[in-house]
Amino acid sequence: MFSGLGPLPAQADLETLRFEGRQITVKRDPLTRLPLTMRAAGVPLLEIKRIAKLTRDQITLTGPLLARKYKKFLQIEPDELRLKAAERVGGTWYVSYWQTVKGLIIYESSLGFSIDSRGRIQSLGALLYPRVPLPEGIKVNRNQALKIGAGQIPDFKKQAYTLLAENILVYPERTPEAIRYFKVYAFNFFPQKALHPASVVGGYAVFVDTQTGGVIHRETLFKPLGCCVPENWVPPKPEDLYKGIFGN
Amino acid sequence: MPGLGTRAPGFTCLDLKGRPWSLDQFRGKVILLRFWADWCPSCRFEMPVIEKYYRLLKDQGFEVLAVNVKQSAQVAEAFIAQMDVTFPVLLDPEGRMAESYGVYAIPTNFLIDGQGKIREILVGEVFREEKVLKDVLKTYFTGIGS
Repeated sequence: MFSGLGPLPAQADLETLRFEGRQITVKRDPLTRLPLTMRAAGVPLLEIKRIAKLTRDQITLTGPLLARKYKKFLQIEPDELRLKAAERVGGTWYVSYWQTVKGLIIYESSLGFSIDSRGRIQSLGALLYPRVPLPEGIKVNRNQALKIGAGQIPDFKKQAYTLLAENILVYPERTPEAIRYFKVYAFNFFPQKALHPASVVGGYAVFVDTQTGGVIHRETLFKPLGCCVPENWVPPKPEDLYKGIFGN
Repeated sequence: MPGLGTRAPGFTCLDLKGRPWSLDQFRGKVILLRFWADWCPSCRFEMPVIEKYYRLLKDQGFEVLAVNVKQSAQVAEAFIAQMDVTFPVLLDPEGRMAESYGVYAIPTNFLIDGQGKIREILVGEVFREEKVLKDVLKTYFTGIGS
């Protein structure tokens, strides 16, 4: 376990500030003090030119661009983002990312926003973690951890549980006072009978510490099957971010 | 899971701003009660479709209650800001409300009529085709096209 920031003095729920000619309203995470939401009045946070002509791959570059422009607030590097989703619904793009540390996804982290049909990003939502302390290497091997994880499931053999997804993640454990970070194996187990499309049976996620083998968290899972394994998306290099297609 | 035509289980839970919400306060309105989580891909791209009809029909008595299941307020708040939706978002951190509705998959939607009875149960990805939601709502609201 590695402790991060402790609590900071309580501040107003929303604050309004000015940044490069924009008026931005920010709501901060009470523990990290990083923005949970940023909303620009008038001038958007970012405006993308020729949005209608951009491909999905080009659209996915907007997150790193936004992270670079608002690094002062978001406190992450563009290459710490990994794509979670980029979907177009109606004329609007909805784009979101995980935050990574040393290539590992931080569980339930996010940075996301919508881009309207005129290319404007007016607001964003984020759950980001600054200066995450993380141990080098692992002390418990995967098979040991898997055995520990399986041991957390009632009737594991009787119900014929199957490992459907796994990953190594950073698990931020939030308490009212602080955040503790664990480098964990994340396992998703579902019983065989859950695999039938009509089944109403759920599964379990178990998070096992890579350093001690301790079980950090266990929770029941709903369908759809699996929740923790991300798409394989390589973040762009900073020099690739500007290709003459983005404004601002 | 409660059956069609049965009374929707009562609940009281908090929204993202810490305000309490209960089913009783919506008597006379048609409610889409939606259970969701941020890890669920279809929860993400169905939200804008629901938002569209919420804005269209809110003044005619349509309410959407989006219940985040078993995640923190911070996770829910970040997600909702990303999707830019305006309907109320309730928190069910222990999953008790989801359990009382027999939810086994995410997303699950219940359409509850003005008498508090469950009229539709829609499980999984159903609103990618906008027509599905439109057809469900046509029974209760006029002027949303054929």
